[in-house]
This record gives sequence, C-alpha cells and structure tokens, in this order.
Amino acid sequence: MDKEEIRKRLKEVESLPTLPPIVSKLNEMVADEDTTATKLGKIIEKDQVLTSKLLRMVNSSFFGFPQRISTVSNAIVLLGFNVIKTLIVTSSIFEVMQASDVGLFEHSLGCATAAGIIAKRLQIKNPEEVSTAGLIHDLGKIVLRSELPEEYEEIIKITNEKGLYIREVEHQRLGIGHGEIGGMLARQWNLPERLVIPIEYHHKPGSSPDFKDITAIVHFSDILIRALGFGNSGDPWVPSLDHKAWELIKFKKSDVKEVISELDEKLVELQDFTLEIKKDA
Amino acid sequence: MQRIPIKFAKPGFILGKEAITPEGQVLCGSDTELTEDLILRLKKQGVLVLTIKGHPVRLPGELPLSERLRELDRRFSKVKKDPVLKALETLIGEFWIEQEKGKDYLKRLKTQKS
Repeated sequence: MDKEEIRKRLKEVESLPTLPPIVSKLNEMVADEDTTATKLGKIIEKDQVLTSKLLRMVNSSFFGFPQRISTVSNAIVLLGFNVIKTLIVTSSIFEVMQASDVGLFEHSLGCATAAGIIAKRLQIKNPEEVSTAGLIHDLGKIVLRSELPEEYEEIIKITNEKGLYIREVEHQRLGIGHGEIGGMLARQWNLPERLVIPIEYHHKPGSSPDFKDITAIVHFSDILIRALGFGNSGDPWVPSLDHKAWELIKFKKSDVKEVISELDEKLVELQDFTLEIKKDA
Repeated sequence: MQRIPIKFAKPGFILGKEAITPEGQVLCGSDTELTEDLILRLKKQGVLVLTIKGHPVRLPGELPLSERLRELDRRFSKVKKDPVLKALETLIGEFWIEQEKGKDYLKRLKTQKS
C-alpha cells in the first residue's frame, strides 16, 4: 500500500463516524459577518447530547479555566470558534477512541494539557487552540486503527516485538506516518491550518511550513507526556527532540521544573476525568 | 506532597496546599489537618482533588518509586545522547523523589552523588 492508495482510502472513510451535519451549518454561519457567538451557541445547544459533550470537554482540566463554563456561547467567546469547531468535529472520533483505545485517549488529553501549560508560559495568543492541537495530534493513529485494522495490528505487533518507534514501522509498512495521515484527514474536514500543520509535523516540527511555534509546542508536549509515562501512544519510547523546535521553546531548567509540577497536578484531575468518562461509556 | 482525588482522603492527612473548588474558591488553607467532617464538607462544596503532605496514598495503578524510576530510565533509552532530554529525565526523576521522600532527602541524595 502506498501514499496514494491511503489517500484514496481516507477519501472514502467509512468506519469512522461521519462529520456531524451541524458542522456545515456552523461553517456557513461563521462565513456570515452578522453571526454572533450567541447565535452560534443557540444552534449548537439545540443538540443536547453534543452540548453536554462539548461543555464537559471545555470544563475539563486541560483547558484549565478557573470558572465553570456553562453555556456554549460563553465557550465560543472564551475558547474561540476554531477550538469549538474542532471539538465538535472530533467529538465522535474521541468516542471511538474512548471505546477502543483508552491509553491513546489519555495520551492525547495529557498532551493537550502539557501544550496548554507551555503555550501560556510562552504567552502564545489563544493557548486553548494549542491545547486543541495537542488533543488531536495523534488523529492519524485513530484513522489507521479504524480504516486499516489489519495493517495497524501488524504495525503494533512489529513495534512491540522489535522495540521500535511506532512511526518507524508505519513508514516501513505503509510509506507514510500517522502525522501525515492525520493531517490529510484534518484537511479533508476543513479544520484550520493552525491545527492541521501541528498534527502533520509533530514529529518533524523543524520542517513545518508555518505555525512553527504551535508545532514546536505540540512536539515537546508529546515528548514530555511520554516521558512522564501518562497514557499509551503505541510505543513506550521518548521520541527524539527536534533542536530547531527546541530553539523556539528553550526553557530554562527552572521553567521545565515548574511545567512538570503544574502538569503533574493537572494529570491527577485528568485521571479522574477519564475515569468519569469510562463510567459513562 | 501528593495530589489525590478527594475520594482517597482520610482523617489525619495534612493539606500541603489550599483546598480549592473547581470555581477557584479557597475553602481551607495549607497545613489544615483533615477530619471526617471536613472531608465531607469539602466534597459537598465540589472539591475534586487535594494536595496532601507526604505521599500517604498509593493510587490505583501507581507503581512504587523505585519501579517508576526504572521505567523512566527505560523510556529514555533511545535518546540518552541528547543533553536536553538527559536533563529532562533527571528533572522528572528528581521531581518524583522530592514529591515522595521530601526536599531534604533529595538534597542529601544529590550531595552523595556529587
């Protein structure tokens, strides 16, 4: 199987839940200059299940708002439409992930939390967007698992037997890695490039054509959360650090120490959050 | 210090940090000793997580410190030559040791090593 074939398969994604119809309606509304957060919020709130999922995500500890967000329009004002749209688009994906791979779900939440903490410390505009990029950075692995289950099983088997990085085996077997695969799907779903590029380049952030700061943060957050051993992303190894990306972060030891401490606190809350989700599932 | 979900709190534990609701309201200060009543009240007010002095609880799935450090070393085994990642591994290990055994223990350990 080569890249082109995978691209074709992605175009006909069948086993993954389709995009909620509400997304195209919301896209139309956002293009209209008269649309306000309240109007958008009202449309989303018509779907009660989606609303409750959305509010649970925005109130979870990886965004870290001190005040509880109780309406969708507030969530849009506080987090921005890009974040809300991405959470809606990926909510069904996360359901698949919660059911089939809790370890990957925890890894994604942990990466989102780390990315948010680092983005705030670096004073990046809209750190919630960076959290969201962290949340969906391994989208490609979920796609692989559901669209190419036999190949994915084989990849995991070889990864474990040979003690390799999962992405090495993906490249050997498919000629493409989960970063590119996730990027393809995210682009197909019209997610903003600020989120697509970090997905696509999180293992080679130095080569990213744009949004280098967000991509570097997601790259380092992935390293940090694997280093802490939180969740399971397919192999246990800490990935190599792209030093071009590190130049954009370049924390002192004291900064990293504070990040680890802040992250550790949030991970306890996250564990409770994932336990709650497991109970509801 | 240890962060624990409130359901693991027991009378006699000492708060290492203020107890805070998810809305950010401070309910009681650091160094407060927990009682049965206080734990109940904090739960009612919506507190989810507490920071406790020492490391009195072994949370579900939590490995003993020595094993966590061994696993940490194993996870870093492919990137040992990278000085930034080497420093990260050391920082995480020291953070865990300090959390579980206290600052003085870590200081002594570092002096012994040097």
